[in-house]
Amino acid sequence: MFSEIAALIVLLPVLAFILTLFLGKRLYSGGALLPIAAIAGSFIISLGVFFEIYPDKTVQQSWPWFAGMNLGILIDPLAIVMLLMVTFVSLLIHIYAVGYMAHDPAKPRYFAETSLFTAAMLGVVLSDNILQFFIAWELVGLCSYLLIGFWYFKPSAAAAAKKAFLVTRVGDVLFLAGIILLYFNISDVISSRAFSLDQGNFILQFRSMFEAAKFIDPSQLTLITLLFFGGAVGKSGQFPLHGWLPDAMEGPTTVSALIHAATMVTAGVYLVARTFPMFAATPVTIAPELHIPDSLLIVAIIGGFTALFAATMGLVMNDIKRVLAYSTVSQLGYMMLALGTAGAIVGAKAVGISLFHLISHAFFKALLFLCAGSVIHAMGTNDIREMGGLSRKMKITATTMLIAALALAGIGIPYLNIGTAGFFSKDAIIEGTFELGMETGGWGWIFYGFAIVAALLTSIYIFRLWFMTFTGTPRSERHPHESPNVMTRPLIILAIFALLFGFMQSGFYLYLEKNFELMGVEIASHESEEALVLPPIVVLMPVIVGVVGFLISYYIYHLKKLNMSRFVSSGNPLYRLLINRYYEPRISADIIGVKLTHNIAAQSGEFVDRKIIDTLIIDNAISNTLFRLGELVRKLQTGVVQNYASVTLLGIFLLVVLLKLTGGI
Amino acid sequence: MSYILLAPEILLTILALGIILLGLLISDRSKNMLGYLSAAGLAACLIYIIGTKGEGRFFYDALVVDPLSQIFKLIFVAVSLIVVIASIAYFKNNRNQDEYYALILLATVGMMVVASANDLVALFVGFELASMSTYVLAGFEKKNPASLEAALKYFIIGSLSSALMLFGMSLVYGITGSTNIPAILQYYSSNSPVSLDIIAMLFLIAGFGFKMALVPFHMWAPDTYEGSPTVVSALLAAGSKKMGFVAAFRVLVLALVALRMDLQMTFAILAVITMTYGNVVAISQRSIKRMLAYSSIAQAGYISLAFVVTTQMSIAGGVLLALGHALMKGGAFLAVGVVGYMVLSDNKDAKNIDHLDNFSGLGKRAPITAFSLFVLLLALAGIPPSAGFVGKFVLFYSVTAEAVSAASGWLLFIVIVAILNSALSIYYYARVIKYMYVNAPAGERIKEPTPYVVAILLAVIGTIGIGLYPEPFVQMAMDAARVLGV
Repeated sequence: MFSEIAALIVLLPVLAFILTLFLGKRLYSGGALLPIAAIAGSFIISLGVFFEIYPDKTVQQSWPWFAGMNLGILIDPLAIVMLLMVTFVSLLIHIYAVGYMAHDPAKPRYFAETSLFTAAMLGVVLSDNILQFFIAWELVGLCSYLLIGFWYFKPSAAAAAKKAFLVTRVGDVLFLAGIILLYFNISDVISSRAFSLDQGNFILQFRSMFEAAKFIDPSQLTLITLLFFGGAVGKSGQFPLHGWLPDAMEGPTTVSALIHAATMVTAGVYLVARTFPMFAATPVTIAPELHIPDSLLIVAIIGGFTALFAATMGLVMNDIKRVLAYSTVSQLGYMMLALGTAGAIVGAKAVGISLFHLISHAFFKALLFLCAGSVIHAMGTNDIREMGGLSRKMKITATTMLIAALALAGIGIPYLNIGTAGFFSKDAIIEGTFELGMETGGWGWIFYGFAIVAALLTSIYIFRLWFMTFTGTPRSERHPHESPNVMTRPLIILAIFALLFGFMQSGFYLYLEKNFELMGVEIASHESEEALVLPPIVVLMPVIVGVVGFLISYYIYHLKKLNMSRFVSSGNPLYRLLINRYYEPRISADIIGVKLTHNIAAQSGEFVDRKIIDTLIIDNAISNTLFRLGELVRKLQTGVVQNYASVTLLGIFLLVVLLKLTGGI
Repeated sequence: MSYILLAPEILLTILALGIILLGLLISDRSKNMLGYLSAAGLAACLIYIIGTKGEGRFFYDALVVDPLSQIFKLIFVAVSLIVVIASIAYFKNNRNQDEYYALILLATVGMMVVASANDLVALFVGFELASMSTYVLAGFEKKNPASLEAALKYFIIGSLSSALMLFGMSLVYGITGSTNIPAILQYYSSNSPVSLDIIAMLFLIAGFGFKMALVPFHMWAPDTYEGSPTVVSALLAAGSKKMGFVAAFRVLVLALVALRMDLQMTFAILAVITMTYGNVVAISQRSIKRMLAYSSIAQAGYISLAFVVTTQMSIAGGVLLALGHALMKGGAFLAVGVVGYMVLSDNKDAKNIDHLDNFSGLGKRAPITAFSLFVLLLALAGIPPSAGFVGKFVLFYSVTAEAVSAASGWLLFIVIVAILNSALSIYYYARVIKYMYVNAPAGERIKEPTPYVVAILLAVIGTIGIGLYPEPFVQMAMDAARVLGV
């Protein structure tokens, strides 16, 4: 029965958006209860659908829309796990926001927009065709713009919102180009009769795409999937379009939590996972020795590089939220890496590995952000240099954030299979890259290198953050206090999930493994028959680097045995590079934004428009003529009814002439 | 013989007569309920028309019920419904309300008869019933000289057009010996046409062109729309105008199939002149009602593109744009009505209440109305997702497709002109939006009358609804076009 009303999963938050926007002011707490109730409803329906379709059913509903397109819902294992995660995490964040946003006068706008944000993400997840997916995807982008710039009166917030919108837009344009190219390619294979749509299937539905992919020219397929990946790079903040995500910190912290955990950046990973059969079907030409299809190889390289690249910047940031932002970029890199590398060996299982990390990351990253929000709420600053010693004042926040940090660092006990969520999810990715290295050798090892070094850095930066915030002596005169219950309860719930979610690993993999089989798509797997027994050092390695990272941070930031002032100074070129974020803001704003786009494109456009079109060629001739013509013809309307009658009769005469002239008679 | 398919017409006729009777019996104060009664009757008809699927022929084949008639009845009833709802506020405490509502309902019945007409006489009777009722409605504010002038002009030009149309019909009858459309078709299948047939057809086109407000039969429209009570302007522009289109659709088969007339170029020229004329003159209007009148003329030009290529898809596009235009234009006129209400409540003796300046800061003064008008104007300009976009898309697409398949350069040129015209129209629509949201308000926020708000929101919901989920409406329009056998 839940499957029939699955459309409500997305419609409820939309309804809450409309009602809160218009009536929020008159409702309790700025209308916070409506979105909470709506998202709780979506969560319950998702849960109901899950129990109905588990383990091997799907929900597929579709209605004709226009011009051969359709509107539809597809809930397969991939979608349902996302639905559960998005609704659940978003629900907790919304509850937390009741406390966090308590003093903001624009609460109705806030809750309306976050509700729409959630709805848009749910729309992305539920779509059964790429066009609808894209529409919801754009809506996600719009909401992120609105929410990052929620405090629009702050210039930095307005700028950050603009940056997020423009940078992700670069990806969106690529994505749209990919869809258009795909449409023409499928149209081609249909008109050449190589492939035909089954009754009730529509051209841009995922299942049609997967079937048609076999007939599309391989190089075109590579191009299409890479364009799709371009969209994912923008949305998921992968190199080189990662710059917007750390700046997106200007919005309220709850918005950051939504963006980073539930509703936005995961959309990019989801896009690659959703269209994974197309990525896997691309030819192997770039690196035949690695057996990785071209598009997946690019995904893996970009993902792996981003994982490491972002982690280095996380080391030096002083803004508590900015450290977490780079951490998100880095972890999303892991998810892409998993899709790319594991895809080469285990085929469709890669989606399970990546999604498992996505969801465990959603739990602990939401938790990290909400803890950071709790700290900011108490301290009134984002700068960790001004914090310290908070664990005595904020016991719950400190404990839950430690749990989240342990999860992010992937701490656990190998062989006993006890550990945090991140331990299970991240180790699987790292071990996957090791297997790839083992099987292919040579430069196949580069991915393992990315993964393991990034893991070490991850552990260092997150414990640096924790020690600087919660231990030692207070470094500024403030009077922090623990946050109210409405904020700490969601922390505790998320902490439980960050601790225990990992134990669902094998069940999760099994469930998602069949995802594409349910749609009738086969994905080749190169996994050897006998299970590869990994040497103990490999199994232990991720945990070792995690612990080493912890110890380094403990040594430097808690015991303060090492004076960092020599490293942390503007004289050190490496530090300068990192603290300036590899000069990315300068490159994107000054060089690409001002010099290239504004000076060249906009100025020349301005020149052509104003100097050539307006002055030289027509001197406003067209508009002036139109105005004059309008005035002239207006005078024909004399207001004298006799004239009107004459014109009517004249009209018949003209019709006769016209017919005669055009040969109608 | 069951007349159940004609239930809406029968119900509305009984309701109209009943309201006149009731009006004699009840006190002036309790006449305010008549608006609710009419709205309920129209809503019932709307539901019935949407819900029933039957087809049938009635009264010796004089009336037919088929998909074409049903989609136009849907337009007429929907427009009357929103007009009646808004009138609850507009004519509140007017002692002649009974006559007003009865006339609106009778006008609606007349339009519905035209939609169903399968016989030239039935067509004429329906035309006249609707026209007579709307002549009176246009002059309903009998102490307002502008309203009287509007009504008189409308009446004189309308009578002239009726005479021309009737003359054309009489010629057709004289040649073929029948007024029944299928019988006339039958006649021409065995007899070849003579030039008198073509003259007859031209008179018919002139008569329909008057209702459609095609250039050069449009002269009455701006004056009448401007002077009439705003709710009546809405009815005229959104509803009764479409009567001309449904009649033209039905009779066009005669001209094209039976008489084998090549009207393509003629209609193309008419369409281009009409849309360009409407848009160009609309630019220089300061009165919003006049601006909307000229924009209606321009929209009539777009819709006439359906006559140029007469494929199933182009007629479906024309029907869709007619449906969309009914909602958008009806809603826009009612929004002007709210502004009129606002201006009059500021100053009882205000003149030119629909002047552009009165829209300054409407976003602050009447936010719901302003936002709705914003949506409706963008929809009229053809911005997605809206009914205006869907209609124009299907229509322009169909002409383009025909141009490509016939390798016809000038058809493509027509499409380009139409699209440029759409771009041009954005200028005067956006100007209103600028006044509403950028310019400073001239007064305090007002309380927007609920009936207006309900009516306008219905129009907005319909407009956006069709834009978001066009498939069922496209299907309906395609079915309607199939009836014509093109």
